[in-house]
Amino acid sequence: MQPKLKSKVRCADRAVGEVTRIIVDPLSREVSHIVVGDGAGALERQIPAAQVETVTEDAVQLRGTSSEMAQFPAFQREGYVTIREVEIAHLEDHLHVEPGEVLVPVPELERNVKRRTFFTNFTHAIGFLLALPLAFPVLKYVMKPMYAPFDNRWIKIGNAGKVKTEDVGVQFKFKKSVKEAFMPEAEVDKNVWVLKASPAVLEGVYKGKDLEFKDHSGQVIWTNKRDVPYVAYSGKCPHLGCGYKWRNVPKLGRQIFLCPCHLSIYDPSGKVLDGPAPRPLDPVPIRVAANGDIEIIDVEFKAGTRAQVRIV
Amino acid sequence: MSGQPSVLEKVFAFVDERIGLKTLQAKMLNEPVPGGSRWAYVFGSCLLFIFIMQAVTGILLMFYYVPSADHAYASTQYILHEVDYGWFILSYHFWGSSAMVVMVFAHMSQVFLWGAYKKPRELVWLIGLALFGLVMAFGFTGYLLPWDQRAYWATTVGVEIMDKTPVVGDFIARFLKGGPTPGQMTLSRFFVIHVMILPAALMGLAGLHLFLFRKAGPAGPFRGSADELRARTDYFFPRQVWKDVVAMGAVFVTICSLAFIEPVVLLEEATPDPGDYHPEPEWYFLFLFQMLRLKIFSGELGQFVAGVAIPNAFLLLLAALPFIDRSPERNIFKRPIALIGWLLVMTGILVFTVSAIINREFLD
Repeated sequence: MQPKLKSKVRCADRAVGEVTRIIVDPLSREVSHIVVGDGAGALERQIPAAQVETVTEDAVQLRGTSSEMAQFPAFQREGYVTIREVEIAHLEDHLHVEPGEVLVPVPELERNVKRRTFFTNFTHAIGFLLALPLAFPVLKYVMKPMYAPFDNRWIKIGNAGKVKTEDVGVQFKFKKSVKEAFMPEAEVDKNVWVLKASPAVLEGVYKGKDLEFKDHSGQVIWTNKRDVPYVAYSGKCPHLGCGYKWRNVPKLGRQIFLCPCHLSIYDPSGKVLDGPAPRPLDPVPIRVAANGDIEIIDVEFKAGTRAQVRIV
Repeated sequence: MSGQPSVLEKVFAFVDERIGLKTLQAKMLNEPVPGGSRWAYVFGSCLLFIFIMQAVTGILLMFYYVPSADHAYASTQYILHEVDYGWFILSYHFWGSSAMVVMVFAHMSQVFLWGAYKKPRELVWLIGLALFGLVMAFGFTGYLLPWDQRAYWATTVGVEIMDKTPVVGDFIARFLKGGPTPGQMTLSRFFVIHVMILPAALMGLAGLHLFLFRKAGPAGPFRGSADELRARTDYFFPRQVWKDVVAMGAVFVTICSLAFIEPVVLLEEATPDPGDYHPEPEWYFLFLFQMLRLKIFSGELGQFVAGVAIPNAFLLLLAALPFIDRSPERNIFKRPIALIGWLLVMTGILVFTVSAIINREFLD
């Protein structure tokens, strides 16, 4: 039990006054001293908690006699602040020093517990009623542009005359017109890599099978014939979507596709030679006119998956 | 005139009478710091300072910045080249974001090494981790806004990484991009996340963080007997506040110097053709970027492991830390696993970051 304010204080020989103040240690949060005075403003002494022998509901018994008590120092108010002026975590939880409780009456109307429960539940119900019908519209609202139909336009990217040597990657840059939501139509720069493939490389790309490209519905929109020597790879690295380059690597004694982001390396047939890429380069639909003009469909696949998942 | 209260004193007395200003002020400043003030405790205050400056410079940037795919780049260039001191405000904001990340690392390391995440401060630690996530999200979303090639490609790759999250990855990626590929919708989304959602979340959580910290009380040093600590204990004001303010000053001068020495320079305007640019994220994501280059993290599974599983598992481990590590021992020199773990993580991040920088030369 902690000594309370106003408790009578007794030494071994006689009563010496009452507890006028309690001093708390800010670190241990325990009562460290009591201040004893006569309650009439006369000299107050600061007595360490260790001197307290017993504490009862309204009295404190100190060790030693009243003359020994007189040797403890006089209390200096200026060395302290009240607990209202300082922030010490959980201080109140430790202190039970006040004489009795300080109370405020509960209003007459607040004494019906059943009604409180009803109001709590009612508040929650109204909250749900307000939030629930909003959840779906809000979700649909923010999802509006997330899923767009595939773009199956043929885009002219240049002339095959630019590709002179077999099995060498040639970058074709092209402008793609984009009409996004409310924005004015704009052009963005894109690129594909075109290769005039030797029969060996062509075999590596198509593995002896024609390559079909499908729409959302699974309908085939175009087939790259396995004997057409021109192959176009999407400019997007199948690892994490960066733009890769054609590099001559003297150390390997050959030319390869290299992605500068995460260092995936592909051979001319798109096969992964090294690095973290999960699948070969992505061929896109290509058609070459009699005059050598190359057109492609700018399909894009999700990066980072083993299987091709078309997203554009 | 000493007898008459000044106008200022009258105003103070007016407010004090109504809201108890003096008590409030006393409560704010009179918080015993066990074992006394220290330079090691300045990081939290510095973070608050950096955040406030980011908010101020961020609001200033919005006077001119337009978050649209056809004007974002031009308006940022306008801030840099036309608006008086625009280059400074933008560069301060840019370097401020780096300072924020550095300071978060320092703050978390201090709390970790001091064992201050342990009971009864678990909640402070958990909210702190959420704040760490917000700071990284701030960096990621803010990076796109200038709409140059650097911005575009960091976002492209970053979102592709999130796409690797099982089940919800595709939804998250499409949600962030506002479509299958980055564009106007991505810019709008990143903008509203960067200037509205994240600041609101950060203010709320930082307030909660401080509240919980005050509720739990400062941990103090991990060494020293109760009597030694008591003898050195002082209040938050003035000694700790003084140290905090000096540290804030140093942070301010550092950020200003960086803004002067290395002002922001934009690359070409964003477009899906990278040209000669070699995409790279901001330096604090470089270790992750380098990790994804490793052969062991190749293929679909490898990317998931390096890009999603490891970072999230690490964050989960940090969140679980106060509940796994229940020993009350706080002295870092008596917690060998914690010390070695911290050293390993720091060394790992350093090694990966440095190797990412070294790799640059081989690419050019």
